[in-house]
Amino acid sequence: MKRITLGGLVLLAVVALAVLGGRTQSASAKPQAGSLVGTGSTFVFPLVSKWIPAVDNALGIKLTYSATGSGAGIAQVTARTVDFGASDAPLSPDQATACKSCVVIPWGLAGMSVPYNVPGLNGRLRLNGTVLANIFLGTITNWNASAIKALNPKLKLPDLPIKPVYRSDGSGSTYAFTNYLSAVSPQWKSKVGTNTSVNFPTGTGARGSSGVAGVVKSTEGALTYVDAAYSIQNKFQFALIQNRAGGFATPGVRGVTAALSQLPAKVTNLSQLKIVDPPKSAGKRAYPISTFTYVIVPTNSGDKAADLRKLIYWTVTSGQKFGPPLYFVPLPKAVNGFVYREIKKIQSGA
Amino acid sequence: MTTTTYDKAPESDLRRRGIRPGDVVFKGLAVVASLAAAALLALIAYKVLRLAWPAIQDFGLSFVWTNAWDPVKGQFGALIFVYGTVVTSLIALALATPISIAIALFLTEIAPKKVAAPIATMVELLAAIPSVVLGLWGILVFGPWVRDHLEPWLKDTLGFIPVFSGEPSQAGILPAALVLTIMVVPITSAICRELFLRVPRDLTDGALALGSTRWESIRGVMLSYAAPGIVAAVLLGLGRAFGEAIAVSQTIGNHNAIPTSWFEPGDSLGSKVASEYVGATSLEQASSILYLAAILMVISLVTNVVAQVVVVRFERARRAV
Repeated sequence: MKRITLGGLVLLAVVALAVLGGRTQSASAKPQAGSLVGTGSTFVFPLVSKWIPAVDNALGIKLTYSATGSGAGIAQVTARTVDFGASDAPLSPDQATACKSCVVIPWGLAGMSVPYNVPGLNGRLRLNGTVLANIFLGTITNWNASAIKALNPKLKLPDLPIKPVYRSDGSGSTYAFTNYLSAVSPQWKSKVGTNTSVNFPTGTGARGSSGVAGVVKSTEGALTYVDAAYSIQNKFQFALIQNRAGGFATPGVRGVTAALSQLPAKVTNLSQLKIVDPPKSAGKRAYPISTFTYVIVPTNSGDKAADLRKLIYWTVTSGQKFGPPLYFVPLPKAVNGFVYREIKKIQSGA
Repeated sequence: MTTTTYDKAPESDLRRRGIRPGDVVFKGLAVVASLAAAALLALIAYKVLRLAWPAIQDFGLSFVWTNAWDPVKGQFGALIFVYGTVVTSLIALALATPISIAIALFLTEIAPKKVAAPIATMVELLAAIPSVVLGLWGILVFGPWVRDHLEPWLKDTLGFIPVFSGEPSQAGILPAALVLTIMVVPITSAICRELFLRVPRDLTDGALALGSTRWESIRGVMLSYAAPGIVAAVLLGLGRAFGEAIAVSQTIGNHNAIPTSWFEPGDSLGSKVASEYVGATSLEQASSILYLAAILMVISLVTNVVAQVVVVRFERARRAV
């Protein structure tokens, strides 16, 4: 008897400790108003890191952000374990349903570069969408292919197999790049499609921007896609991409800004935010592969709603000036009305 | 009279000793810890299966031998990854087993003690290298070396076999298998060394006294005495190879196809789960990835059970002799 009661007491103590421990944990995971927790896109992370101290100064909001990938951002905001998620791909219809009335707000914009490793090239490589799509489809396999020669009459292209490299982890970069390839190549659109991870017909996968960069550096003949900031900061040689106006553009702030000119004067919904492969009217400087990155917030945000509204309003206005040094492009005026309207939908919902 | 009182005294003493709080706390902790470990295993298995359930219902068992993985079109199957996992692990096993036994024999039988001790420590330290670091080394150093030297040589000498034909590549089935070999060798060789050290000296001395050569005593006495242990060690290494995700994901090339050549990129179960779950965009994709995780769990479980059965069988056979 006595033994049993003692054993029971020990068990009770253990259970009580576990419960108490659990309680303190759940208390710390939901911080007081004045602090916000978000997760998701790694692409937007450099920009968010600049925002964190600035938001603390300007609004007194303590912002915590972890770069876990766009897919994780969507999953966690759907499960309501964070206050907001961040993704480089807008929610698919299925995801929007699962997220139960979430708003998706563009809060960053940047270009995607196409770095390559072709040793001994006497100049900058020039490519266009069709050639890129055919390289990643596996129909153009050598650097001295006539289609590449036609775009680069002055380059001495070597007889070297092309080795396409892609992101093996689900990523917004893959979404932006496949979105572009689908826009320029009907064959890509029907055979592969657009997503954060797709079934690449040929090539080698690697994890993260640094992973693909590592493979490209050590592989002669490699070609990949990575956000412009990463390429510029790591001094990669990247290709000039031909736009519809016939110009060969770079993914700098000016190139992406020019590509925005095709947006309607007043954007009213997310599907209008297509900026890949801009029309001829965008001009010769327009860079054809760029992407918006989004913040995803539940419309019913409880006591966090006011802070979330303040934070997102700040990021899409004052926060945008932190972009250009990181090769993020300030949001165009055309989206302002849409963004403000969506921000207003974030309510405490009591 | 005196005897009865004498009898009672130690009995009550025992009872008093039996309920010492220290013992009770210790017993309680031990019971809770072991039950918690068992419960955790069951909970993890349950959660993986539950999250994989939509895919299991959609695709059924044929998922396991379906050769497709296309998140855009919603076509999923495990064959590509089962192939990658099994082939890389078996190559690793085929290479690691003789190397491990050779290392263990060298350290216990051939090397002088002064040499054996530091080498044994170094081999074991090889196991302490985090797999992500080994994978990085695979990307930056080892993979390019395999592409520039090993694979061209294999192609020249064994190119008539389909798996050794094709374009040398720094990331593929073969580089991943070789990195796995490096990860498996320290585990298997450490266990083999322990096994060889435990072979009774009388037995080997007896064999030598009967006129057998050193090799005959190693083969006839040591290896056969340690056989069940070696099999268990090998299967333990196989379990390690099956489950490795990060280093494989960094070196296998992550391509959704079954390559004809071992030089070309493929993918494995663990690698696919590690690289794609976080970015999964649809419920179907996420649950298919968990289906892959469930398959991996079943494969590992079967390997472990087989290892135990083999050990028991060997023990029985040895006792019968």
